[in-house]
Amino acid sequence: MDSQTVALPPDLLKAAQVLAETLLRAEPIAAYQKARARLDADSEARALLERFLVAQAELRIRQARGMVTQVDVHKLRTLQREVQASSTLIAYVEAQQAAMAFLPEVNREISQLLGVDFASLAGPASC
Amino acid sequence: MTDHMVNDVELAPPEVVRQAACDFAAALAETPQFSAFEEAADRLRHDEVAQHLIEAYQSKQGSLQVVLMLNTASAEDRADLERLREAFSANPSVVAYLRAQTELGAICQVANDVLSRHIGLSFAASCGPGCCC
Repeated sequence: MDSQTVALPPDLLKAAQVLAETLLRAEPIAAYQKARARLDADSEARALLERFLVAQAELRIRQARGMVTQVDVHKLRTLQREVQASSTLIAYVEAQQAAMAFLPEVNREISQLLGVDFASLAGPASC
Repeated sequence: MTDHMVNDVELAPPEVVRQAACDFAAALAETPQFSAFEEAADRLRHDEVAQHLIEAYQSKQGSLQVVLMLNTASAEDRADLERLREAFSANPSVVAYLRAQTELGAICQVANDVLSRHIGLSFAASCGPGCCC
C-alpha cells in the first residue's frame, strides 16, 4: 500500500503535529537542530564531511572487492583525523547520536500504550 | 543561554514530551485501522488451526536455519518449507491479520513522515530493529 495515498484522520494528524512540535522543543532534538544549523553555516565542515563519507563509501566497495591498498586506508585515516579535529562536525555527530538515542524512548511511550511497536509498523513495509 | 533554552527555544520538560507521545498513541488507538488490527490479532491468537500452521512453519524454518543460510538445503526440504508457508499464508485469519497490519502500517508510515519532517531525522529508522516496547 502506498502511504502517500493515505490520509490521516484529523485527530491523529493533529496529535502527530503536536508531538512533532513538542519533540522540536525536547532538549536532544533542539540541540541537534542547533548543531545542524551550525554545520549548514560552515561550508568547510560540510565539504570535509562530504569528502570523508565519499572516501568511506569507496573504501567499503574496494573492501568488498578485495582491492584495498595502504594508500586507501591512509587517506581515510587522514580524513578521519580532520573530522575529529573539527568542532563543528564533532558537535553535529554527538548531537545527532543523542537525538537518535532519545527517539526510542519516545517510541517506547507510544508503543506501551498501543501494545504494539509503533516504529516497526511505521518503518519500511515488511512481511 | 539558560538551562531551559536552546536556540532561544523554550525547552519542553520530559513530562510534556511524554504527554504528547501518550496523546498521539491515544489518537492512533482510536483509528479504525488500529481497531481492525486488534480484532484481527485477537482472531489470529484464538485460531487454533492458524496457530498450528504457523508453528509448523516456524519449527521447520528453525530446523533448516543453518542450511538455508549456507544455501545447502535439499530441494525436498525447500519444497516442504514452501508448502508449509503457503498453508499458513492461505489461512483466513492470517490473511486478515496481514491485511490489517498493512493498513495500520500505512497510517503509521504517514504519521512517521509528519514527525520525521519536523525533526529532520527519521523517527522510525532512529528506533531501528533493536527497539522494543
